Amino acid sequence: MEPNDLAALRPELILTVLVLTVLTVDLFLPRAHKWLLTPLTVIGLILVGLASFFVSGINQTVFAGFYRVDDLSVAFKLATVVIGVLAALFAPAYLAQRRLPLGEFNTILLFSLLGMFVLASSSDLITLFLGLELMVMPAYLLAGFHKTDRYSNEGGLKYFLLGSFASAILLFGISWTYGLTGSTRISEIGDLLGGSGPAGLVAIGMLTVGATFKAAAVPFHFWTPDAYQGAPTPLTGFLSVGPKLGAFALLVRLFAEGLGASGPDWFGVMAILALLTMTGGNIVALAQTNVKRMLAYSSIAHTGYIIAGLAAFAHTTDATARGQAIQSILFYVLGYGVMNIAAFSVVGMLQRDPRRYGGLAAFAGLAGRAPALAAAMAILMLSLTGIPPTVGFFAKLYVLVATVDAGVAWLAVAVALNAALAAFYYLRVIVYMYMRDPEADPAPIDRSPLTTLALALSVAGVIALGLFPDPIITFLRESAASLL
Amino acid sequence: MSDLPVLTLVVFTPLIGVLLLLFVPRDWTRAIRWIALLASLTSLGFSLVLLGYQPAGAEFQYREDLSWIPAFGMRYTLGVDGLSVVLVVLTTVLSVVSIFYSWDPIRVRVKEYYAAMLLLMVGMLGVFVALDLFLFYVFWELSLIPMYLIIGIWGGPRRIYATVKFVIYTLVGSLLMLVAILAVAIAHAAAGNPFTFSYETLRGFGYTDGLQALAFVAFFLAFAIKVPMWPFHTWLPDAHVEAPTAGSIILAGVLLKLGGYGFLRYSLPLLPDAAVSFAPIVIGLAVIAVLYGAMVSMVQPDLKKLIAYSSVSHMGFVMLGVFVFNTQGLQGAVFQMISHGVTTGALFLLVGVIYERTHDREIAHMGGLNARLPRYAAIFGLFTFASIGLPGLSGFIGEFLVVLGAFQYSGWVAAATMLVVIISAVYMLWMFQRVFFAVPSDWMRRAWPSLTDMSRNEWLSLAPLIVLVVGLGVYPGPVLDAISGPVQRILDIVNASQGLTSFSPPW
Repeated sequence: MEPNDLAALRPELILTVLVLTVLTVDLFLPRAHKWLLTPLTVIGLILVGLASFFVSGINQTVFAGFYRVDDLSVAFKLATVVIGVLAALFAPAYLAQRRLPLGEFNTILLFSLLGMFVLASSSDLITLFLGLELMVMPAYLLAGFHKTDRYSNEGGLKYFLLGSFASAILLFGISWTYGLTGSTRISEIGDLLGGSGPAGLVAIGMLTVGATFKAAAVPFHFWTPDAYQGAPTPLTGFLSVGPKLGAFALLVRLFAEGLGASGPDWFGVMAILALLTMTGGNIVALAQTNVKRMLAYSSIAHTGYIIAGLAAFAHTTDATARGQAIQSILFYVLGYGVMNIAAFSVVGMLQRDPRRYGGLAAFAGLAGRAPALAAAMAILMLSLTGIPPTVGFFAKLYVLVATVDAGVAWLAVAVALNAALAAFYYLRVIVYMYMRDPEADPAPIDRSPLTTLALALSVAGVIALGLFPDPIITFLRESAASLL
Repeated sequence: MSDLPVLTLVVFTPLIGVLLLLFVPRDWTRAIRWIALLASLTSLGFSLVLLGYQPAGAEFQYREDLSWIPAFGMRYTLGVDGLSVVLVVLTTVLSVVSIFYSWDPIRVRVKEYYAAMLLLMVGMLGVFVALDLFLFYVFWELSLIPMYLIIGIWGGPRRIYATVKFVIYTLVGSLLMLVAILAVAIAHAAAGNPFTFSYETLRGFGYTDGLQALAFVAFFLAFAIKVPMWPFHTWLPDAHVEAPTAGSIILAGVLLKLGGYGFLRYSLPLLPDAAVSFAPIVIGLAVIAVLYGAMVSMVQPDLKKLIAYSSVSHMGFVMLGVFVFNTQGLQGAVFQMISHGVTTGALFLLVGVIYERTHDREIAHMGGLNARLPRYAAIFGLFTFASIGLPGLSGFIGEFLVVLGAFQYSGWVAAATMLVVIISAVYMLWMFQRVFFAVPSDWMRRAWPSLTDMSRNEWLSLAPLIVLVVGLGVYPGPVLDAISGPVQRILDIVNASQGLTSFSPPW
């Protein structure tokens, strides 16, 4: 190990120290002061974010080729930090009402984030798998975090069983890959697998199934709605964006970096997966009357849009077009992360009464009862639909640019039509908030200052990134360039 | 030309109004109404500055050009030609009228209502002045959401069905248009040019036939749904019937014109070959729309629905004029847009007047109103005649020019549309007779005491429209002069095109 190997690892090191600090401090803090853990986590995460900035531009592979700190990983890590901070801010009020332990939540969350960091930087299949497991194991815990709630138990168990199943498939694919190529280096497997005939296809098939399982692509999505619905709502917000970001880091590493050269071979699979995922997710979301479940299905549809970006990458060999495809994935993951976690938190704010499970009825007449909250939710819904000037619009636009530029205009048309389909159920929330009268016994609203602050930040970010996305785009261009 | 960013002021003054509204307590309704009215009046004032547009000068004047998202070559480019100027002024006038008219009828959620109206103004005005395709798209979508709320919150009993239908229809078209915009910009960039969405740069680039055909279809869907052309019109009657009066005024007066403007500004100059090749189909659809709208209007039991279907017919004239590709047709189309905006806006307002008093719009329930409300009857009569196209009023000029243009294209098309001028007289006059002269129904007799003639506010809202409908009818010169330059440019581009060559459409 070289000394500057560690320098490249500063963000991960700080994050590890932070996890251990939170874990230890939690043991000694009296109950009345537990709230201090939230500022500790947030400030720590901000430090991690700053450290990630410092390692941008170094583009070096460390630990004898097992770990790669390039600008692409930095982009994923910064997005991870943003999502982590929001998750840490959104959760406490909800947890406190249900007497769920804040310290454990923060620790588990940070472990999961660390897994995402490792995943984003892995340049070897072994590191990749380690990162993945480090990310999803805590995620299983988060899904079942509400120990006394049956739905949470069910969701956690389902998530765990199916997730382990997917991990096993992925691992099986990795072992086939190793058997065929004699290497676990991501940068080497592409050339070797390409020439290994049907067995190579089996390996690639296993890797695809395992990876898209994690991203919740149709037809590997069945775990999503139950896992998301059962988890405590703000945690669902994190689950719907965090592990998804990790899954896309994995997909980008594995497919764009590892198998990039044979892109045209797997383009068909990705394009069909994208089409199935966005359409399937949307159609099922249409039928939901529970907002939490609707958001869960719609997160599947968003996965489809992001996979469309990956398909665009596969379809072209032009470096600029490929760069654009990678940027579209990064931008979408970040933008989607912010808006979706915030949308879930609004659902959570309406669950101050723990018997409520986030039905549409809770939103009825919200505009009259809480105009600011309704406006925030309306902006988030418009952003998720993809109406300008919001980040959701620009994310979709980015995918459209990438697909059209790569010469797969039909996929762009599919994305556009699906966005119109999605409008139907996203706007239904606005219909309930603005155009219906409140229930006789309206859901009490949680207005804790932390949640409100985080919501305000998210909504401001959603609009600011929609109006002036240029700094982010410039940054993402450099990130994507480090891959190609 | 001064250095003042007039267009930005026109477009974004209403937004300042919205920001002010955010800080006003919601029960200060008087203050809210005044802020909204002043913001829209200020915007109207700035838009009048644009009348100083020089027809002989540069194509686009009052230009503003700022970098916005350089990574994708998106710019904040604004500019107006004669076509934009007349539509901008139409928009500001009708917006002020609707905001002023809403003074009494809107009593719930006043703050949200005026915020939505002002935001709607921003979106509509932006569409007419944007010269960057991306910016245009952003404004286009921006105009959608406020109308969605206006119909959905302040509308009639089936408002939610109507507003969702309106949004989904429009979104399908506009999202496909977004793909087409990207395809056009990317095709331009693929030829080695810098990535740009600038209208002036993208126009005149030789796009391949396949791209032109597909992009034209996508643009066509977006604009045809907005216009709306038969068979994409089914959202319109629902939206109109459920919308509050001011919403109907804006919807008929301005939002439909976004579609017509889109054809003139984007479809024809960007994709002239496809436009030439597809013209026969569009003309066919336009003739169907003209006939269909008129015939369906005859049997409508509801006043608003009748006017909504007559809009389908009138906007069919616009589409016909646009696609016959001659000076008379195009000028007639633009004039018809303006005239339809004023006339139909006024008619919806007048329906709103009676609806405020009786909460009913059934033609069968009315009758004998002439005796009870003579002034109202007189004004209603004026706009009925304007809608029919009586010479001396604005409706005549547009229809006459379009038919003249259609005649040069084909005598049969002209004959079919002339027929509709007669049908329109049938449905409008029959409606007028049943409402104002027939024996009052029992229902109306019971409502008799609550009937009062037009209030001062209603007069004030209508006054500008009366002036316009008579003024434009007697002296259409200024508008025709203003649009002759843009019309000629469009014709130069379209007539130089031979249509699609390698791509042969299936007909």
